[in-house]
Amino acid sequence: MLDTTTIPLAVLMFPGGLFALAFGLALKGLDRRVAARLQGRIGPPLAQPFFDLVKLARKRTMVPDIAAEPVFLGAPLIGTVSMLLAAALVPIPGVYAPNPMLGDLLVLLYLLAVPAVVLMIAGSASGSPFGAIGFSREMALMLAYEGPLVLVVAAVALRTGSFSLSDIIAYQQTHGAFLFDPVMWPALLAFLAFYPANLGIVPFDIPEAETEVLEGPLLEYSGPALGLFKMMSALKAVVVLGLGVALFFPSAPDGAAGLLVHLAKLVVMMLVGVTLLRVSMGRMRIDQAFSFFLRWPLALSLLSLAIVAAA
Amino acid sequence: MTLLQTLTDSARNLAVRSPWIYRINAGSCNGCDVECATTALIPRYDVERLGCQYCGSPRHADIVLITGPLTAHIKDDVLRVFAEIPDPKVTVAVGVCPISGGIFRESYAVHAQVDQYLPVDVNVPGCPPRPQAIIEGVAQAIAIWRQRI
Ligand code: SF4
Repeated sequence: MLDTTTIPLAVLMFPGGLFALAFGLALKGLDRRVAARLQGRIGPPLAQPFFDLVKLARKRTMVPDIAAEPVFLGAPLIGTVSMLLAAALVPIPGVYAPNPMLGDLLVLLYLLAVPAVVLMIAGSASGSPFGAIGFSREMALMLAYEGPLVLVVAAVALRTGSFSLSDIIAYQQTHGAFLFDPVMWPALLAFLAFYPANLGIVPFDIPEAETEVLEGPLLEYSGPALGLFKMMSALKAVVVLGLGVALFFPSAPDGAAGLLVHLAKLVVMMLVGVTLLRVSMGRMRIDQAFSFFLRWPLALSLLSLAIVAAA
Repeated sequence: MTLLQTLTDSARNLAVRSPWIYRINAGSCNGCDVECATTALIPRYDVERLGCQYCGSPRHADIVLITGPLTAHIKDDVLRVFAEIPDPKVTVAVGVCPISGGIFRESYAVHAQVDQYLPVDVNVPGCPPRPQAIIEGVAQAIAIWRQRI
């Protein structure tokens, strides 16, 4: 049962690793293309994020004089590695179930917090004032959205009686997906508010606001180090959206069809929850975002926890 | 060896499809800046389809657009920012100001042409140049950049 030989494969190749990276980059490309079309532009080719990565790999990484070099260069590595691990932890219903040796939902929650922490560290290690502003905004935003996420996960775990994603999926396959379960709707809404913030897009891209703080923590990064951050965010899209699918709508056939259905779900979540939101809204101020998260998603997730506990 | 060469070649071909653009305003009257912004921001001239992207940080830049006559006041800052841009980079001088000083020539605030201080690769004349001219300048810059990356 606890066969550990497939773990490296899972982390480096199929659900994590190369596959997740390629799919994450494709999702980003699709997002940019569709956003351009919605704005009446032609937009970049679908493989644009991939071209960007190749380009960044061929550029030089510059380290600012005042930066703490080991931290400055180590931060993107840690972020990318943590997202590789996280991608191997997200099940693909009907196709792939993560090895319990690798960890469960709680480990995934911790790994999901790493990119934000890494961005904070990167911002402060770069020694740039914009990085410092990005750092404080990232921290405020993270404090705001992390609470609702934990409560949403707790509500789902309470409902299914397990913190294992495989059990959560098995439960929904016998009892019906939570997407169609009114008891879980508050949690679902809270999650829908959470994931754009976690992916750092307008209206919640406050820490990296290009027009205000010049991409904040990423300001001083160049070349391969910046490429690692791009990889991290592509992987994170796959992880966060995959987590949403596992928590709320894992119904899928077995085998290759299951994989296609899973990918289609991620694409829909990306287009509706990210692209459409991104082109139709302006950026919030950090205090607005903070009070938004502490008001609605937090209330909704608390509500769902209470209903689940009572039901 | 040949395999390595083919790989480098194809990597180069992919890399040139992602030129990121950074604008330096070296004391321009803003006319050229408006035209630069126009080329990217309005749907008609969308340059994102060429993979171009305006970036806020000089560290992310591949192609630098310089506008304005490089006034004495701003010269040192421009040189500093220019040094922050990682190699390989290509410089495009937009407008007649960086070429000759334009209407600001012989002003007490302008010392010499931009190419006395920075390696300029492409000149896009005009006061201000048309968006199409700027896009062509960027296209030429991409061709030069291909040799360097
Ligand atoms: S070239 Fe003309 S439009 Fe451009 S900055 Fe100089 S004066 Fe202004």
